[in-house]
Amino acid sequence: MSALTYVRPDGVDEAIALVSADAGAAFLAGGTTQLDLLLKDGVIENSTLVDIGRLPLTGTSLLDGAVLRIGALTTMADLAEDPVVRERLPFVREALLAGASIQLRNMATIGGNLLQRTRCRYFRDRTVAACNKRRPGTGCAAVIGPARMHAILGADQNCIALHASDLCVPLVALDAEVRVQGPGGERTVPLTDFYVLPGRSPDVEHVLGHGEMITHVDVPLPPATSRSRYLKVRDRASYEFALASAAAALVVEDGTIAEARLALGGVGTVPWRAGEAEEMLRGVPATTAMFRAAARAALRDPYTLPGTAFKVELAQRTLVRVLEDLAEAAS
Amino acid sequence: MATSSTTGRTTGEVRVNGEARRLDLDSRVTLLDMLRDHLGLTGTKKGCDQGACGACTVHLDGRPVVSCLVLAAQCDGREVRTVESLARDGRLHPLQEAFIRHDGFQCGFCTPGQLMSAAALLAQRRASSADEVREAMSGNLCRCGAYPNIVAAIRDVAEQNGTAGDGGPGAARNGAA
Amino acid sequence: MTAVSSGKLLGEPVDRIDGHLKVTGGAPYPSDFSYPDMAHAALVQSTVAAGTIRSLDTAGALVAPGVLTVITHENAPALAEGPMTNIGPSPRFPLADNRILHHGQHVAVVVAETPEQARDAARLVRVEYDEAAPVLGVGNPDAPVLTDPYGMESSRGDVEAALAASDVQYDETFHMAPETNNPLGLFATVARWEDGRVTVHDSSQWPAMARQSIATVFGLPESAVRVLVPYLGGGFGAGLRTWPHAILAVLAARMLERPVKLVLTRPQMFTSVGHRPESVQRLRIGATTDGRLLAVDHEATATRGAEEMNIEPITMGTPDAYAWPSAATHDRLAALNIPNPGAMRAPGHAEGGFALESALDEISYRIGMDPLELRLRNHAEVHPSTGLPWSSNALRDCYRVGAERFGWSARPAEPRSLRDGAWLVGQGMAGVTFSRWAAVCRAQVSVGRDGAALVRCAGTDIGTGTYTITAQLAAELLGLDVEQVRVELGDSDLPLAPQSGGSGLALALSGAVEDAARNLLRAFLDTVRDDDSSPLRGRSLDEVAVTGGRIHLANDPSAGEDYAAILDRHGLRELVADGEKDPSPPEGLSMAPAGAFAAQFAEVRVHEELGIVRVSRLASAVDAGRVLNEKTARSQVIGAMVLGIGMALLEETSFDAGGRIANATLGDYLIPAHADVPDLDVAFVGGPDAFNAVGVKGLGEVGVVGVPAAIANAVHHATGRRIRSLPITLDKLL
Repeated sequence: MSALTYVRPDGVDEAIALVSADAGAAFLAGGTTQLDLLLKDGVIENSTLVDIGRLPLTGTSLLDGAVLRIGALTTMADLAEDPVVRERLPFVREALLAGASIQLRNMATIGGNLLQRTRCRYFRDRTVAACNKRRPGTGCAAVIGPARMHAILGADQNCIALHASDLCVPLVALDAEVRVQGPGGERTVPLTDFYVLPGRSPDVEHVLGHGEMITHVDVPLPPATSRSRYLKVRDRASYEFALASAAAALVVEDGTIAEARLALGGVGTVPWRAGEAEEMLRGVPATTAMFRAAARAALRDPYTLPGTAFKVELAQRTLVRVLEDLAEAAS
Repeated sequence: MATSSTTGRTTGEVRVNGEARRLDLDSRVTLLDMLRDHLGLTGTKKGCDQGACGACTVHLDGRPVVSCLVLAAQCDGREVRTVESLARDGRLHPLQEAFIRHDGFQCGFCTPGQLMSAAALLAQRRASSADEVREAMSGNLCRCGAYPNIVAAIRDVAEQNGTAGDGGPGAARNGAA
Repeated sequence: MTAVSSGKLLGEPVDRIDGHLKVTGGAPYPSDFSYPDMAHAALVQSTVAAGTIRSLDTAGALVAPGVLTVITHENAPALAEGPMTNIGPSPRFPLADNRILHHGQHVAVVVAETPEQARDAARLVRVEYDEAAPVLGVGNPDAPVLTDPYGMESSRGDVEAALAASDVQYDETFHMAPETNNPLGLFATVARWEDGRVTVHDSSQWPAMARQSIATVFGLPESAVRVLVPYLGGGFGAGLRTWPHAILAVLAARMLERPVKLVLTRPQMFTSVGHRPESVQRLRIGATTDGRLLAVDHEATATRGAEEMNIEPITMGTPDAYAWPSAATHDRLAALNIPNPGAMRAPGHAEGGFALESALDEISYRIGMDPLELRLRNHAEVHPSTGLPWSSNALRDCYRVGAERFGWSARPAEPRSLRDGAWLVGQGMAGVTFSRWAAVCRAQVSVGRDGAALVRCAGTDIGTGTYTITAQLAAELLGLDVEQVRVELGDSDLPLAPQSGGSGLALALSGAVEDAARNLLRAFLDTVRDDDSSPLRGRSLDEVAVTGGRIHLANDPSAGEDYAAILDRHGLRELVADGEKDPSPPEGLSMAPAGAFAAQFAEVRVHEELGIVRVSRLASAVDAGRVLNEKTARSQVIGAMVLGIGMALLEETSFDAGGRIANATLGDYLIPAHADVPDLDVAFVGGPDAFNAVGVKGLGEVGVVGVPAAIANAVHHATGRRIRSLPITLDKLL
């Protein structure tokens, strides 16, 4: 990059037009991962940044009292203080607060959080030749490296890059929807369908086309009787990505689980919805034995390496711990 | 549109420590490098340049951010405050005095960032307990290990001027085990 | 003259005299210096760990906007080798030829008008390698191994026989991950040539050595080189060498005839300025069932860079740590294709202390004795290797005071006996016997007509408090207020000083200041020797004392006068005196010069299901001889303890199969954050050391040494699990 063009358009349509027209252009929101990768690591190459940071896509609104609509440019800090998030989505707030330092929460946006790139140090080091995500077809250096902060679910020998977002873990459990605007108009994508498993094309991470922008995230609120919790396990007590995390929202009625929403972080190439585990828990007594069985199901068929094998057990225990905490609180 | 789009340069205006400064910079220049290399405000430090240490913390429109991950261009029309603005009229900010009194630094390199984060913490009344301060300040690394003294300095000022907060709804409880 | 108030242990907790500068952002660190017309350099580093450069294409970089030059092995001039120092030879110059000895070796430096241009153009340099298989890993059988590389191996008694005859035969192996110093300040060099002389702002803990190195390499007299480091953004040992990037910055400035600034990136900090090498230790200890330690055999292997040398004296402290009748040590150093290691706070001691103090804890459990009691029973009343009395040793007081403050006596012996909900709680402890080290130091002290003093010395204050303790000491020696003493440090043109390292500067510098102050007072007395109007006429040094800015008779404080009056009357602007201290023990000394001692106590909480370890309490009782400033001394110890927490639980420089460091950022290599550190308790015990006029013993490193073992022992107490490899991450406890 011998020169960088910076543009700050006044409207969404103009921003979309600018990026759509230029293959080397990208949106710049909070910038916390974008600028790191572009300027410092040199692993992405944009000749133009279209700064959307001041577009009017901030704040939240409540739709029909049932869905929280979050502007894509709302910061993590502001969303964490949102009254609806505080009251109805405590685990979203917990994930936001555990997700980054105060400085980064003041900068990073919700849309940017959804689109954050992996922390994989093989992806982020342009001198590493083998990276299917960066240069499709070159292989994966991480699978022979000392991988620790890597994925075990949705991973294979082609890519073990972790999706490191904390926020996305409760959001994917809640069936959040992503509202997208692009050159072809608007569309809505369920967050569970938004990310693409690496498979044979780890370079493709999500369903957005060039020039498409996240404008809002719609989060259906769980029932008022639901209790939720996000638990993040990491080496350092703060300011670190998760080794494993679990988000759970439970409705427990008379000791029986009426509804369960579960997702895992720190283990997946995408934010990992534990759908099978949810099914297993619906309608059964809230007991540790049930939780353990569900956790085993959630971690079925992991792809592990010597450095990541411990995550299978850790993630199960993390999920069980969260469920036990919620069941205890409900009783 | 506030910027030129062909030359790789950006023009604009940013208020730094209360003073309007014209921008005419290579668009790649970060806020951190603008402060240090172009405005001569070297109090703000570069410890990692990757948003992972907090040494470059400044206030952007009143909120602490890491200036290494902000383009100078993004600051056009906005307000930046750095450690150089903490003391007023030759009098140190109470936090600066407390850092000296409690020996809240050793090499001093992380200190400007620690101070800017701490000042924001007090403004938000989020210093009700040592644990709350520790969590909130964790984005500012100190390799000399002055942490206990930094926490003591912040708590001291918070208690003195009644900005500790009550540990209520604003208090940090995150999902960490 | 009373040298110092020798009965006093704790110096006044004076606020740092450089505090105002540091809290206002006004303290100038090397990267803060700029010059008009300054160019900026960026490094290109090898992406293979072994082999040769086949081709190097700089054409793309050279035509990039703003690029001034690209220096490679193909166009770099031949430079002389750097000098031998008291911690070994200088690092190899990486552009001497086309050979690659480690991943991250500098292969080119791009210089441009702006830092952005240099950085982005560096990515345009194309290098192709003929790659060879790198030799990696401390136990690699292909690694050339040096035996007794430091000449420090020792042996007394018949260790093998004593081990064989022991009731308890302990034999375990310990592994420690490599760590990276990671001072927060990115290392920087700003070089500016003028009329054949060069001024260098360099991130150095040792300006005198940096000057010598640059002079030697560029064939200059030392007087043509000036190295300035008034402030350093931490070093922890990383600043004890003149690293290749500094040479490259000086070279680029000479080639371009312009000032050049080179600031390392954080990833480059992992490969360019040293690290604590990986190590393996085998400890064999023989003991009786009633807790007498009979013999120790300590073998340690550390790593070095291929064609580099570093000193990692892991076993050094073991023979004199306890009163074992027989002791033997063995040092090995394996050469690998890794970045040149170097010193990291408490090099050798930290590793040796972890193994030794873990082993004692294990032995205490094997024989059913309280870990503290086992240490007390084997306390070295005299220096074990020589049989001489220690110059000071308050280790017993460290144990007693530390245990009291921590509440050790309430600790149940049984592992897994303390719990708080889901958290298992454990308590552990460790003792520390640190080595004494110091080198020759000089200082200059002057007093002018304003009655204020100036102390000047080339040594650095890397955050340790050198400015402040120097001012305090000079104030005490000259009878002045601290505010009346100005201190200039970090300038190689000032009187020679050793490194800020090895816990040695305070000891050496305090001796030099004491000598200089004494010489200065003598100069004042000489001035008035025949002065009829002076009440001090004809008096000698041992007849006078100093208080309130006055020299007066020791037995008659009213008979005296102030410095300014003497200078005034004699038409002098100031009087200046030099001082020097050679702190090495003379032949036939009847005592064994001691380093610092400490006892350290840790409490941890381990989540029973998730394996998370958090330190909840940490206490140190330290005998560092006379403490010059209680406030900065305490900071030294708490900082060291925080480093110990990182070493115990978090820090590991992770090499991948190709020799590349896989976690070279502060987001991936974890150092302790605020939330990892509880309040830390520090107590100073003992008294001034007998073998040195000021009574000081170094305390920069002692606080690291016992912490990893105390934490590991606490983890064992909490969980029943013994972890002999660091860091103790949660996966080891699941």
